[in-house]
Amino acid sequence: MRRKELPALTHLQFLVLGVLRANEQPGRVIREAIATYGVRRSGPAFYQMMARLERDGLVEGWYEQITLSGQAVKERRYRIKPAGARLWSATQSFYESVSGAAARPRWSNA
Amino acid sequence: MRDVLSRLLPRRAREEWFEPSCCDAQIANRRWLATRTFLIFLQCWGLELRERALNLLPSQQSFVKPTESPKERIPMFWHDLRHAFRLLLREPGFTLAAVLTLALGVGGNVAVFAVVEAVLLRPLPYVDADSLVILRHRDRSTAVTKEFIAIGDYVDLAKRQAAFESIAAYGSPQVTIYGMDEPFRVRALSATADLLDLLRVRPQLGRLLTREDTRPGAAPVVVLSDQLWKSRFAGDPKVVGRGVKIGARDVQVIGVVPPGFHFPPTMQTDVIIPQAMPLEAPAGRKNGWTYSVARLKPGVGLKEGVANLAAISKRLEEEFPRSNQSTEYYALPLRDALVGDTKAALVLILGAVGVVLLIACANVANLLLARSLGRHREMAVRVALGAGQKRLVAQLLAESLALALCAGTAGVLIAIWGTRALVTLVPKSVDVPGLAEVHVNAWVLGFALLVTLATALVFGMLSALAVRKQDGSGVLVAAGRSSAGGGARRAASALVVGEVALAIVLLIGAGLILRSFSRLLAVDPGFTTDRVLTMEVAVPFERYRAPEAAKVFWQRAFEAVRAIPDVQEIGAAVVVPLTGNHWTASIDRPENPTPAGERPPEVGWQMSTGGFFKVLQIPLLSGRYFDDRDRPGSKTVVIVSEGLQKRYFDGQSAVGREILIGQTRAEIVGVVGNIRRADLSEAPRADLYFPFEINPSPQIRLFLRTAGDPAKVAPAVQSAIRGVEPSALFPETITMAEVARASLQIQNLALWLLGLFAATALALAAVGIYGVMSYTVRQRTREIGTRIALGATDRDIVWMVLGQGARLAVVGAVIGLTTGLLAARALGSLLFGVKPSDPLTLASATVVLIATIMIACYLPARRAARIDPARTLAEQ
Repeated sequence: MRRKELPALTHLQFLVLGVLRANEQPGRVIREAIATYGVRRSGPAFYQMMARLERDGLVEGWYEQITLSGQAVKERRYRIKPAGARLWSATQSFYESVSGAAARPRWSNA
Repeated sequence: MRDVLSRLLPRRAREEWFEPSCCDAQIANRRWLATRTFLIFLQCWGLELRERALNLLPSQQSFVKPTESPKERIPMFWHDLRHAFRLLLREPGFTLAAVLTLALGVGGNVAVFAVVEAVLLRPLPYVDADSLVILRHRDRSTAVTKEFIAIGDYVDLAKRQAAFESIAAYGSPQVTIYGMDEPFRVRALSATADLLDLLRVRPQLGRLLTREDTRPGAAPVVVLSDQLWKSRFAGDPKVVGRGVKIGARDVQVIGVVPPGFHFPPTMQTDVIIPQAMPLEAPAGRKNGWTYSVARLKPGVGLKEGVANLAAISKRLEEEFPRSNQSTEYYALPLRDALVGDTKAALVLILGAVGVVLLIACANVANLLLARSLGRHREMAVRVALGAGQKRLVAQLLAESLALALCAGTAGVLIAIWGTRALVTLVPKSVDVPGLAEVHVNAWVLGFALLVTLATALVFGMLSALAVRKQDGSGVLVAAGRSSAGGGARRAASALVVGEVALAIVLLIGAGLILRSFSRLLAVDPGFTTDRVLTMEVAVPFERYRAPEAAKVFWQRAFEAVRAIPDVQEIGAAVVVPLTGNHWTASIDRPENPTPAGERPPEVGWQMSTGGFFKVLQIPLLSGRYFDDRDRPGSKTVVIVSEGLQKRYFDGQSAVGREILIGQTRAEIVGVVGNIRRADLSEAPRADLYFPFEINPSPQIRLFLRTAGDPAKVAPAVQSAIRGVEPSALFPETITMAEVARASLQIQNLALWLLGLFAATALALAAVGIYGVMSYTVRQRTREIGTRIALGATDRDIVWMVLGQGARLAVVGAVIGLTTGLLAARALGSLLFGVKPSDPLTLASATVVLIATIMIACYLPARRAARIDPARTLAEQ
């Protein structure tokens, strides 16, 4: 029987990668999305977390120039990398298997 | 600001955290973007330090350490803190030195921050004050900026602009209210109907001004301030509809504004009166001037507002070249307009006092390093007993926190005193909002706490560095000897180099300001300020409205004043020199008129009596002063300055020639010397003087030359004038020497504070290097003993120690000079006649610093030379 392992992603990382699965997004949008789950991070703390995800090869980040009231602003954008997508799927399967296991009747005398 | 802060961050923090966070804040269009950027900067440093602290902790411990559950952490922290306070009490000498040094740094910073908070950060008392702007104009041909705008241009700007919700005009005259016991002077706000609406003011009683009230010829009305309503009208709820007499006119009270309202923010507002404004721009576009304020439309930025004004200015230049050529209107945030030069001085002082804190921190860090080396054995025992590095770091952090808390508390006490001293030092003439309400409030205490915690963190990290590489067995063995690793010595040396570098930066700043100040003092203003009194005099307007009546009155008043034994000369004028006045008038020469489509030249103007020149001893170069020949109704005559003669008459005598001022033809009857009219740092301009004798007004400035102390003459002068007109008012009496001093007060304040900080920095750097050299000499006792035993002389040893100190000083001086050269550019706006890279200042600062450091090194060097080789070798 295959040994079951706990997921390598934290809830927050799972959430961030989930936001990025559908589309690439600017950091600001990801921060707003996770805020809807009650996770509030200051700008620097959020980008520190994103930098770690980048270092782990789960996401890819780059700067994109946009124009704001006639002024050029460089916005940080992110997209999920294949390793990130795989890890997210593995984590999701884990949660699904846990919920499936909880739903099956238990063979126990307890 | 963002760029500067960005450079102060390590690369990773800058690129990965700071930049994207700042962009997000910008995109979210947050208010207080500067404050937000600063917060992001602090957060980035917090994260950076946290990461560094975590990296310091080894992943594996060589000793089994007791695990500590999160629940145990808090009691353990309190235990550490209590232990730290006990340690501080056990070493009163160390504690006193460290706490005092730090308290001076923290106290100075908190005191200066209290002023910065009140002046630069505290919100202005208006709804959405960030979108309020003041309109100004600059003359590109003369580079003169003026705080007011021409009435003709105001009317067109208000009609054509698209970036502002509305533009309003205002003024702040003083008016006299009659008919209520004694007449009294009040500060009025003369405003167009839009002003109160634009400031979002709602009436407390009655109504505010409407467009009907500001139409020319409308019935005169007044709105009262809450304070005046309560003090002079006993808070009468039926005050609306009552009549009062303001100046010569009977006006009707139409309403009362809410308590606390005043505008402009630096001035008290007692009454609000309508400012008449033509519906169409008059032909003489620049015949009248007004101050103006506007509110940006929601979503419109300052840049767009300025661009809109620039575009309209350009169109006006094309349409009206004779009046508007090279005239450019622009907008300035209300706060910036109010704070003006003071902002640069305050930021500079905050920077300087920050440097003093850094030097104090470096000094205390040195003390702590020396102490931590003495505690090697204690630390070794702790490690041997199973304390992990995390525990040791936690304890050291608690110790620094205890030290910083003591220093922070003492610092706040120093700040409470320092804030008062600082506000007293700030000149009364500096009209800055919030200066009257500078105190240590919650914000300032928050800042003090932040500074205290930051210093605690810095020391904690330094102490942690000292114990980083300890492991149980090695340290126990090493602790038996008194010597410490080269790392600690290098750290101490690096701290001293840093101190020296920072001290030299401050010395350069203070030196530059000192040189600039001495240059300013040496400037000849073109007139004498000694033994001159100036006094503003106002008499009832309706009684002296006719020029003949006013002339007769002033003649009698002057005779009465001349009869006072101490008064030698008397004169009158409308503008006091050295008070920043830039009034100008267009002139033209009838024989050589300005070509069509070009703007006639503008010169500064003043209205004065002949006596004015004699009082201020402005020399008459040719022709005559104004005298009895000039009277109401006689031919218009003017006196011009030497500068005007040189520029517009090619240096030939202008006496007897005629000039056109608007439509008026005037004969030049005299040429006088140049004076620095606006301030000492501004080169003399071409000036024109109209005779007060031809058009005497009921309100003037008297100028008196006295035999003795001018201030003592004032009561006699006032009673002499009251003898002629009992209801004469004297709103301001001041000596010209005080006016001259006041014009230099910002530079004076900067000089005092920078001088104080530089001296403190120098003293701290000297103490720092003394400590390090003493410590080094103690450490090298055996080596020095051996050298002496092998034949080294006293002189060799002294030179050896001095050389070591000199090396540190030179490295610090080189770094400091480079930094100082860059930092000195920030002083640019405060300097006069001195370049930021002035070689004399740089050389003097270096010499003073190196000399001080050599003196500080000499004592340990002497001690080293007296080491007894027999004793040290025997000990070995």
